[in-house]
Amino acid sequence: MSDAQRLPASDDFVRLMDLPFEGGLNEVLHECREILEDTDFPTVKKWREQGGKVMGHFQVYFPEELAHAAGILPVKIRGAPVDREIADSRFGSYMCSILRSSLEIAMTGRLEMDMFVTHPICDGARNLAGIWSRNRPEPAQILYLPQNPNSAFASTWLTQEYRRVLADLEAISGQVATDADLRASTEIFNKNRALLREVYQIKRETPWLLPIHEAYVLVALGGLVQREEHNELLEWVLPRIRERDARQQDKMRVVFEGGFCEQPPLDLLRAIAEFCYVVDDDLLIGLRWLLSDVPLEGDPVNSLAVAYLDDSSYSPVQHDLRKPKEKMLLARIRGAGAEAAIVSAAKMCEPGLDELVAYSQALDEAGTAYFVTEFEERMSSFDHLQIQLETFVENLLFN
Amino acid sequence: MTATTEDIVGRGARDGGELFRNWYDGLTTAAAKNEKAAYVFVMGSLAEIVRTFDLHCVFPEINSLQTAVRHCSDEYLSLAEDHGFSPDVCGYVKADYALQLRGGEHPMGRIPPPSIAVQTNACNTYLKWSEIWERMYDIPVVTVDVPGSRSAPGTAVLSGESVERDRQYVLYQIKELISHLETLTGKKFDVDRLREVLRLTNRMGRAWRRVLELNRARPAVFDAMMEGTIYLGVANALRGTEEGAVYFENLVEEMEYKAEHSISPLVDHDKEHRLVFVGVPCYPIFRRFYQLFSEWGGVFVSSTYTWFASGGLNLDFEYDLENPVESLAEGVMLSVQRAGDSMLFHDKYLLDGIDEFGADGVVYHPIKSCRTVSTSLADSRRVVLAERDVLCLYIESDMMDKRVVSEAQLKNRIDAFFEGLESRRIRKATAGTAAAPGAEQSATTP
Amino acid sequence: MAYAAGVDVGSTQTKAIVVDEEGNIAGRALLPTGANVVQAAQHAFEEALSAGDVHEEDVGFVIGTGYGRYRVEFGDAQITEIVCHSRGAAHMFPETETVLDMGGQDTKAIRIRKGGDVIDFCMNDKCAAGTGRFLQSAAAALEMELSELGPAALRGQRPVKISTTCTVFAESEVLSWLARGKKMEDILLGVHRSISTRSIALLRRVGIEGEITFTGGVTKNDAMVAVLDEMLGTSLNVSDDSHYIGALGAALLALERMRGARVTADTGEVVA
Repeated sequence: MSDAQRLPASDDFVRLMDLPFEGGLNEVLHECREILEDTDFPTVKKWREQGGKVMGHFQVYFPEELAHAAGILPVKIRGAPVDREIADSRFGSYMCSILRSSLEIAMTGRLEMDMFVTHPICDGARNLAGIWSRNRPEPAQILYLPQNPNSAFASTWLTQEYRRVLADLEAISGQVATDADLRASTEIFNKNRALLREVYQIKRETPWLLPIHEAYVLVALGGLVQREEHNELLEWVLPRIRERDARQQDKMRVVFEGGFCEQPPLDLLRAIAEFCYVVDDDLLIGLRWLLSDVPLEGDPVNSLAVAYLDDSSYSPVQHDLRKPKEKMLLARIRGAGAEAAIVSAAKMCEPGLDELVAYSQALDEAGTAYFVTEFEERMSSFDHLQIQLETFVENLLFN
Repeated sequence: MTATTEDIVGRGARDGGELFRNWYDGLTTAAAKNEKAAYVFVMGSLAEIVRTFDLHCVFPEINSLQTAVRHCSDEYLSLAEDHGFSPDVCGYVKADYALQLRGGEHPMGRIPPPSIAVQTNACNTYLKWSEIWERMYDIPVVTVDVPGSRSAPGTAVLSGESVERDRQYVLYQIKELISHLETLTGKKFDVDRLREVLRLTNRMGRAWRRVLELNRARPAVFDAMMEGTIYLGVANALRGTEEGAVYFENLVEEMEYKAEHSISPLVDHDKEHRLVFVGVPCYPIFRRFYQLFSEWGGVFVSSTYTWFASGGLNLDFEYDLENPVESLAEGVMLSVQRAGDSMLFHDKYLLDGIDEFGADGVVYHPIKSCRTVSTSLADSRRVVLAERDVLCLYIESDMMDKRVVSEAQLKNRIDAFFEGLESRRIRKATAGTAAAPGAEQSATTP
Repeated sequence: MAYAAGVDVGSTQTKAIVVDEEGNIAGRALLPTGANVVQAAQHAFEEALSAGDVHEEDVGFVIGTGYGRYRVEFGDAQITEIVCHSRGAAHMFPETETVLDMGGQDTKAIRIRKGGDVIDFCMNDKCAAGTGRFLQSAAAALEMELSELGPAALRGQRPVKISTTCTVFAESEVLSWLARGKKMEDILLGVHRSISTRSIALLRRVGIEGEITFTGGVTKNDAMVAVLDEMLGTSLNVSDDSHYIGALGAALLALERMRGARVTADTGEVVA
C-alpha cells in the first residue's frame, strides 16, 4: 500500500466542497444547503473519483473515527426525499420512509459505497442488512451497539465489536489503522464535536442569529465530507454567525424532539422557525452523540467504546437504565431554557411513536407545554402543521 | 397401553387447551395472592432461570394474542390508543398496556403485575415494552443483550472469534441476571434446580424437533400454522416443566401414529397443497383464517413461527447438564441468534424448508404490528420465486388489530393463490403424462 | 351451438360476456352494479344473452368473477378476477406477460405466462392512492367530471408534486396547490403521475416482463395511458374493450370447463 493512498495529514485533506468563502456568510450558507439537498451526493462522488473508499453508516450512531482512521470516508445514510422507483418493492407497508429511501439512493446509483453498516436501533433497521445484501453488491452488516450498556461487561465486549468492524474497514481500504491513526482521528472528531457544541450554544443563547434550518445544514454536512473539511467550515462560519446583524424577536423557545433517525424536511424546520426558536433538538443526534472529548490516552478503540456507553446523549432507540428518555428530555428542556417542546415522530417509526406516549405523560406531569406531531421525509405541504403550530403558540402566549 | 384413534388423534390440541387453562388459572391465583411474577418474552426465553427462583412466568405476548383469539382485542387496543399509542405500533404492546390499566383483567382470568422484567433484544420492541413497566411499576428490568448474526450467511466478513466473544458477553449478563433475581427473591441461586429444569427442557426440545420433522410425511400430520400455535403456546408457557416435557412426548406419539396411519388434519381433501407459512398468524380471525386455506386443501407443513417463537427448541442443541449456567448462556445466545436469522436472514432456511418439506407454495403474512418479522418479506418472496418453482402468496393484515384484517380481501388473494396451485398441479400432471385425459377440474369453492 | 359465459361483478360495474364454442364474443353487457348485486349479475347476464340472441339453455357453463363472484347465483363456478383478467388479457393480446388492472377500487399487477397462467400477483386494495379512487377524489376537489380529468391532464405542462400518500388528504392537497396559483392542468398531471408511480411500484413487486396489458375502467383515461407509457418507457396494450377483460377471461375459462379441456389463447385450438 503506497503512501499516496494513505490518509493525508490533518492540514492537508481532501476538500469535497467548493465553497464561495469570498462571497460571504450567506453565500456560503446557501451553497451548503445546495450541497446538502443534492440527492446525487456530489461530495461523495468527488471522493470516489479520487479513488477513495466510502462506507455508508445508517442511523443513529456510528463510531466514524474507525472509518476515518482506516482512510475511508464515513457517510451518514439518512434517507432522502426522493421518489422511490425501485426500493419500495423491496418492502411491505407499515414501514418508515427512511429505510426505503436509503436503499433507493444506493440502488439508483446516487450514492455508491464500498460497505454498508446498520445498527440494531429498531426492528426495521435490523432487517435492512439482509435486504441490502439481496439488492446491492457491497457487503452489508450490522454493528451490534449494545442494548445492555448497563452490563459491566459491555465496554469490553463493545471494544471487541469495534475492533471487528475496524478489521472489516481495513479490509475494504487495504489500509491498517494503527493506534496512532485512531488517536489522530479521534482528535479531529473531538474538535468537530466541540465545534458542534458551539453551534448548539449559539442556538441556545442567541437563537435569532442562527435559525434551525441553517443550523441543521451546518451540522448535517459533517456526515458528507471529511471531518477536517467540516471543521474548517465551522471555524469559518461560527465567528461570522456571532457577528451577524439580526434582531431578536419575540418567538417562543422550544425543544424539537424526534429527529434522531428519519429527518424532517428542511422546509418543515423552516415552517417551525417562523413561530419558534428551536433552542435544542435531537436532529442528527448521532453526529453529536458523544458529549465531551474522548480521551486520547490508552487504547483508542476502548476509549470510543467507553464514550459511547458512558458519555453520550440519549434517544428512544437506546435502552439504558441510567437514561430514562422522559427524564432526559425534561433535562434538555430545562438546560436549554425552553418554554415548550415539539415532540414528534416519523410516520411508522415504532420507537419514536412509542416514546411519544412516555414523553406526553412526563410533560403533562411536569406542567410543560408541548405539541405532538408526525412527519415524513418526503412531505412537501405543511399547511396542517403550520395551523396547529400557530394555534399552539398563540394559546401559550395568551394563557 | 394401546391408544385408540379417538384417544390419540387430536390429543395434543385437547391437552394443550387444558394445560393452557390450568396455567392461566395458576396466574389468576397468583394475582389474587399478590405473588411475585416475572414478565418474560417468547424469543430468547429466560424462563428456565426464572423458574429456578420459583417466580411465576408471565408471557405478555401470549396474553395479548389470547385477547385477539378470544375476540376482545379491540377493547384493549382502543384503551391503549386513547392513552396516546399510535395505531401503527405493535398490538401486543398496546393490549398489554391496556391489560395493566385494567388491573390485569384478561379473558382467561387475571394476570399478576410484574415484579421484574427479563428480556433479550431478540425484538427491539421488547425494549420499549419493558420501559413501560419500568415506569408504571418501578421494577427492575434486566436485559440480556444477545448480539445476533452480523450479516447474511455467505456475505459475512467475520471470523469465528466473534461467536466466542458474544458467548462471553451473554454468560456475563446471565450471571448479572442471577444476581438480580437473588436480590429480588432473597433466595440463593440453586444450580441443581437449574440443572433439573434444563433437563426437562432438553426432553421437550428433543420431542419438539421430532414433531416438526414428522411433518415431512405425506400427508402432513399437523398444520404448522393452526395447531403449531397451540404447541408453541405450551412450549413457551411450560418450558422446563415436567408437564411440558410429557406433553411433547405425547405429541410425538400422536404424530407418529398419524404418520403411520396417514391421518391428515385435512378432512375433506385427499390431495393436499403443502405450504410454508412465514410470519405470525392472523389471530383476530384465527379459525376462519385457517379455513380459508384448509377449504382448498392447503396444509401448512412448516411455519417460520415454529422457528423463531419456540425459544430455540427447534435447534439441534441440548443443554450440557454438567455446566448448566455456561450452557444456558450458549443456548440463549444460539436461540436468539437463530430467531433473529429466521426473521432477518432467512432465505437459506426458507429454501431448505421448501425442499425438506416438499412445499408447493409459500404464504407470506406480514403484519402491521411486527416489523421484525415483516420488513423483509416482500424482498424474500422475490428471491424465493426466483430460486424455486413454488407459488408465493403475500397477504398483509395483523395479528391483533381487526381493523386492518379484511376477510374479503384476504379470501380474494388466497383464492387466486389456490387457483394458481391447482393450475400448476394440472400443468405438472399434464407434462408428466403423454396423453392427458380431460384436465382435472379443480373444486369450486364451497 | 353451445355457449359459455362470464359475469364480472365489480364494485361499481357489472360486465357479462357470452362466447361461442370457438371463443368468439357473441354478446356483451355492462351495467352499474348498484346495491343489489345478485340482480345486477342476473340482469347483465340476460342483457348479454339478448344482445347475442342466445338462449339461456344454450349456455353450458357460467363463471362468476369480481368481488361479487359468490353472488352470481346462477354461476357454475367462481374464479378470482386475478385469474380471469390474466386469461382475458392474454386472449386479447397474446404476447402479454404483465397485466396492470386499475379499477375504481383497487389496482392489481399480475405477471403471467403467455396464454394467461398466473405466475405472481400483487394487489393494492387497502390504500386508495394508486387506484381510480384517487382520481375520484381529485375530481371531487376540482368539481369536475371524472371523464374530464384525462383531457385536462394531457394539457398539463409542469406537473406538480403530489406528496400525500393518503387519498383522504389528496383533496386538500389539490386545493392547496390551486390556492398557490398552480394551473389545474398541471395539478391533474401531477395527480396522474402520482397514481402512475404507485402502480409502477406495484408492478415492480411482481416484476415487469415482456408486453404489458392495461385493463380496467381507468384505461378509458388517455392521460393515464400516456403517463404510464412515458414512465415505463414502453407502450401499454390497451383495448376499447379493456373493461370487459375480466368477464371475457371468465367466459373463456367457462368454455374450458365446459369442454373439460384447454383452449389455447392465440389459435383457439382445443388441446386435450
